[in-house]
Amino acid sequence: MSEDRELRKGSAETVILALLEERDRHGYEIAKLIDQRSDGALKFHVASLYPTLYRLERRGLIQGRWVERSNTRRRRFYRLTAQGQKTLEAQRRSWKAFFAALNRVARISHA
Amino acid sequence: MREADDVDDVDFRALVRARLEPLDVDAARAADIVDELAQHCAQQYADLVASGVDQRDALTRALAPLENRRRVVDEIARADRPRRSAPPPPASSTHLVVDLWRDVRYGLRLLHRSPGFTAVAVMTLALGIGANAAIFSVVNAVLLRPLPFADPARLVDVGEPGPDGRAGNVGFTTVVDWRERTHAFDEIAMIRSWYPTLIANGQPERIPAMRVSANFLRTLGVAPALGRDFAAADDTPAGWHVLILSDGLWRRRFNADPAVIGRVVTMNDQPYTVGGVMPPSFAPIISEHFYEPAQMWALLGYDRSQPFACRSCQHLKAIARLEPDTAIGAALVDVNGVHAALRREHPAEYGAATAIAVTPLADELAGNVRAPLFALMGAVAIVLLIAAANVASLLLARVADRERDLALRTALGASRGRIVRQLLVESSLVAWLGGLAGIALAAAVVPLVADLSPVPIARLATARVDVAVVIFALAVSFGTTVVFGLAPALRASRVDLQTTLRAEARHSAANPTSVARRLLIAANVALAVVLLAGAGLMIKSVGRLLGVDPGFDPDHVLTMQISMVGKAYAKNEAVVAKGDEMLAALRRLPGVESVALAGQIPLAGNVDRWGLHVEGRPVTPDDPFVERYSVTPTYFAVMRIPLRRGRLITDADRASTEPVMVIGDRTARTVWPNGDPIGQHVRIGGSDGPMYTIVGIVGDVRHVALAAPPTLQMYTAQAQLTDSFLTVVMRSASDFGLLAPAARQAIWSAASDVPVYRVDAMRTLVARSVGARRFVAILLELFGAVALVMTAVGVYGVISYSVAERTREIGIRSALGASRADIVRLVLANGLALVFAGLATGIVLAVATTRFLDNSLYGVSATDPATLAAVASVLFTVAAAAHLVPIARAMRVDPAIALRQD
Repeated sequence: MSEDRELRKGSAETVILALLEERDRHGYEIAKLIDQRSDGALKFHVASLYPTLYRLERRGLIQGRWVERSNTRRRRFYRLTAQGQKTLEAQRRSWKAFFAALNRVARISHA
Repeated sequence: MREADDVDDVDFRALVRARLEPLDVDAARAADIVDELAQHCAQQYADLVASGVDQRDALTRALAPLENRRRVVDEIARADRPRRSAPPPPASSTHLVVDLWRDVRYGLRLLHRSPGFTAVAVMTLALGIGANAAIFSVVNAVLLRPLPFADPARLVDVGEPGPDGRAGNVGFTTVVDWRERTHAFDEIAMIRSWYPTLIANGQPERIPAMRVSANFLRTLGVAPALGRDFAAADDTPAGWHVLILSDGLWRRRFNADPAVIGRVVTMNDQPYTVGGVMPPSFAPIISEHFYEPAQMWALLGYDRSQPFACRSCQHLKAIARLEPDTAIGAALVDVNGVHAALRREHPAEYGAATAIAVTPLADELAGNVRAPLFALMGAVAIVLLIAAANVASLLLARVADRERDLALRTALGASRGRIVRQLLVESSLVAWLGGLAGIALAAAVVPLVADLSPVPIARLATARVDVAVVIFALAVSFGTTVVFGLAPALRASRVDLQTTLRAEARHSAANPTSVARRLLIAANVALAVVLLAGAGLMIKSVGRLLGVDPGFDPDHVLTMQISMVGKAYAKNEAVVAKGDEMLAALRRLPGVESVALAGQIPLAGNVDRWGLHVEGRPVTPDDPFVERYSVTPTYFAVMRIPLRRGRLITDADRASTEPVMVIGDRTARTVWPNGDPIGQHVRIGGSDGPMYTIVGIVGDVRHVALAAPPTLQMYTAQAQLTDSFLTVVMRSASDFGLLAPAARQAIWSAASDVPVYRVDAMRTLVARSVGARRFVAILLELFGAVALVMTAVGVYGVISYSVAERTREIGIRSALGASRADIVRLVLANGLALVFAGLATGIVLAVATTRFLDNSLYGVSATDPATLAAVASVLFTVAAAAHLVPIARAMRVDPAIALRQD
C-alpha cells in the first residue's frame, strides 16, 4: 500500500502537467480524469490534489485564474506555463528512462 | 436541476471553511481556497448523488478527505505562497524571509498547542542560559572588561616577584633608579597604604587612603574633576601634605562643597591642603586590591636621604605605564638589565638575586579570582550542556510523536531541507524564548552576587547584565540551538516513509529516535556526576578547613582595630601608656575574661615579616624571614595559644629591661634543628637593632590562612617593640552586639582621638578566611542541585516515554501472563542500564576534570573515592525515583486496551 502511495505521489506532478498540456482544466476535472484514465488505480481527493496544484503554481509550472461564465459560479482553471511544458518534457524523459531500465532489469513491459 | 437544488441546499463553503482551521494565508486568499475546495466537494457530491448514492453517504464521502484537518491545513498553507504574476526566481531572499516567517508562525502555533513541553523546555534552557549569563557578567566585569583607565593595556605592576610569581613590593630608591635608567616605561608611579585619622563631631574616623607619587593619576590617565592634579614640585619631605579627595568622601564629610579646594584639614595633628576632588567614576580598584578602598590620596614625599627610602625598604608598589607599542617582554628585558646593574653597584643592599617581574595590572587585579571564576564558568557550561541534552531529548520525543506527520509531508513533496528548517525554526524558538527568560533571570540575580561574595573582589560590584552579556547569552542560545536542534531535525528528515506510515513501527523498542534520546540521558547523568563531584569536593574542602586546628581558640573572642598616630603618639612610651590605660578600661567591662593588644592577629589580613639573624652566625640574605607580632602579655591567654617550653612575655618585660622574644614551634625546629633556642640571642631586621633573648616556645598559629601551613613566627613585647596600629582582642562570653559598643566607649574614655574600626568576632575572621572557597562551594552546590533536578526530569521523560511507546508490548506481556514484578523489572532494566552507563562515564569524566579544582581543594584528593561514591549514590537514588511514576503507569496498562490501540 505504501509503495503504491509513493509511486503515485512521485508521478502526481507529471500526471497533472500532462493533463494540462491538452487544455486548461479546473481541479475537479483533473481529479476525475486521473481516476477515469487510470481505471481507478490513481486517485486524488480534495485534500491531496489542491496542495499539489498550489505547489506547482508556486513553482511557476502552472497558472490558475478565476473564470466566470454567466450562468455558473466562477471556477478556477489551471493552465500549463512555458516552464511547466519544459518540466513536463524533462519528467517524461526521465520516466521513460526509468521504465526502460526497470523493464530491462525486471522484465516489466509497459504500454 | 434537482442536483443543483440539492447542491445549493448544502452550504459547502461553510462546511469546507469549518474543516479548514484558520488558514495561515491572507483573508482574500483563504476565501479563494475555500471557494475552490467547496466547488470540488459540491461537484463530487452532485456526481455521487447522480450515480445513485444516498445523499447522506455522498456528503460524507465528498467531505471525508478534509476530516484530517490539521494535515490539510498544513499542506495547503505550506504549498500556497503569495502569488505573483511571474514565477519567482528560485530561492530569492524575499522568498526565504517569507518562508521563514511562515515557519516561525507555524512553530509558535505548535508550541502554543503543547504548553507542557514548551514550559519545561523553556524553563530548562532559561536555567542553563541564565546561569551562564550571570557568571559571564561577573567574568566580564572582573576579568574581561578593560580597566577604567586610559589605554589600560599599557598599565603594569613592576617589582620583585612574590611567592605567586606576580610583581611584589619595591623600595623607593630602586624605583627612582629604574625611572632614570629604563626606556620601556612612560611613567613609573609608586603607591603605599596610609590610614590618617580624621576627627569630626568628636568622633575620630580612620580613613583608608593612599600615599602616591606625583605622577600616579597621570600614569593611570585620570584627573581630578575639581581642583588640580598633584605637582611634582610638592612631592618632597616638606611639601607632601596635599590631599585629593574621593567623590564619596567629599560628599560625605565636606557636603560636596566646591569651595573645599584650598581648605586646610587637620589630621594626626598635621595640616593638609585640599588640592582636588576625583570624579565619581574613579573607582578605587587599585587600593582595594592591595590595601583598602582609598577615600583620599596624598603625596609620597620621599627623598633618597630618608631611612625608609632605602633600596631594600620594600613597602611600595610600583605601577607603570609602558611606552606605546612596547611589549611586556621588552619591558622585562629593559628593567632586568637595569636592575642587574643596580645589584652589581649596591651588592649589600639587595637580597638573593631574583628577576624583576612585570605583570599586566589587569592580571594582577584579577589574579586571585581567576581560577575560581573559571571553575564556575566550567560548572555553568555543564549545566547548560545538561539543559541542552534535556531539551534535545524532549525535541526528539516530539519528533517521534510527529513522525507520521513528517513522513506524510515528505511524501507530499516537502524536501528534506524544508523539514530540517521547520524543525530548526522550532528549536530556535525554544532557544530564543529560553535565552530571553535566561537573560531576565540573570538580570535579577546578578545584583545579588556582589552581596553574596564573602571576600571583596575588584570590580565585582560593577557586574551587570549589559550589551556584552546579552550578546553572549544570545550567542549561547544560538549555539545551543545548533547543538540540540540539529540532531533531532536531521533525524526527522531521515524518517523512513515505509515503516513510519505503518503504524506498528511506533511500537518497536528499537526505534532509533529512542536510542538517541537514551544516549542523551546517559550523557546527562554523566555530566551531572562531574558537576556534583566538583560541588562535593568543594564542600568537603570547606568542611575540612573549618575542622583544621588554627592553633588558637577563635570562639568568644572579639577583635577591634585601633590606631594611635599623630603627635600625641610620636613616642613609643605614649603608645604603650595609652594602650595600658585602654586595657585597664576594657578589663573593667562586665563579662570580659581577658583582653590584650597585638600588632597583628591571625586571619585578619596583616603580616609583618622580618629577617632573623642568630648571634654568632654570619648574616646572609638567606637568613629566614619570620612573621613578627608585638603583643601585650595576656595575648596568649586571650587566644589560648599553648606554651610549649620556657616562659611567656610578662608585665616585667618593659622598655628598660632586656628585650625578649617568644617563638613558634616551627621557628624553633627550623632555625635550631639540633639545639635549644631558649637563651639564644637574635637580631631582627637590619644588622644594627638590639639583641633579643629567646625566652619561650609556643604552639604554631595559622596566621595567613587556614589552608596554609603555619609559617615561621615570633612574638615580641609591645612594651619593647611598639606598634601603633593595633588590634584589641577580648575573650568574653557576653553578646558581642552589646559588648562591642561598650568596648568602643571604654577605648574612647581612655583616648578620645583613637579610631576604632573593623570590629569582628574572631569566628567571623575564620569563616571569612574560607569565604572564597565557600562561595565557590555554594554556587557549585546550587548548580549541582539544578543539574540533579534536570537529570531527574530527563530520566523521567525518557522512561515514561519509553513506557508509552511500549504500551502494546507491555499489554501483550501481561496478556501472556507476565506478573507485575516482571513488568517492573522490564521498565527498570530498561532505565537503570542507562543510568549505570551514565554514572560510569561520569566518574571517568569527573576524575579527568576535577583536578582543575586542585588549587581550591583542601585535605581532599580531586579523585576522592568517598565523594564520587556519594555523588553516584545520590544520582542513582534520584534516577531510580524518577522511574516510580512510569512504573506505576506501566502496571496500570490494560492489555485489552493496549492491544486495540490504533
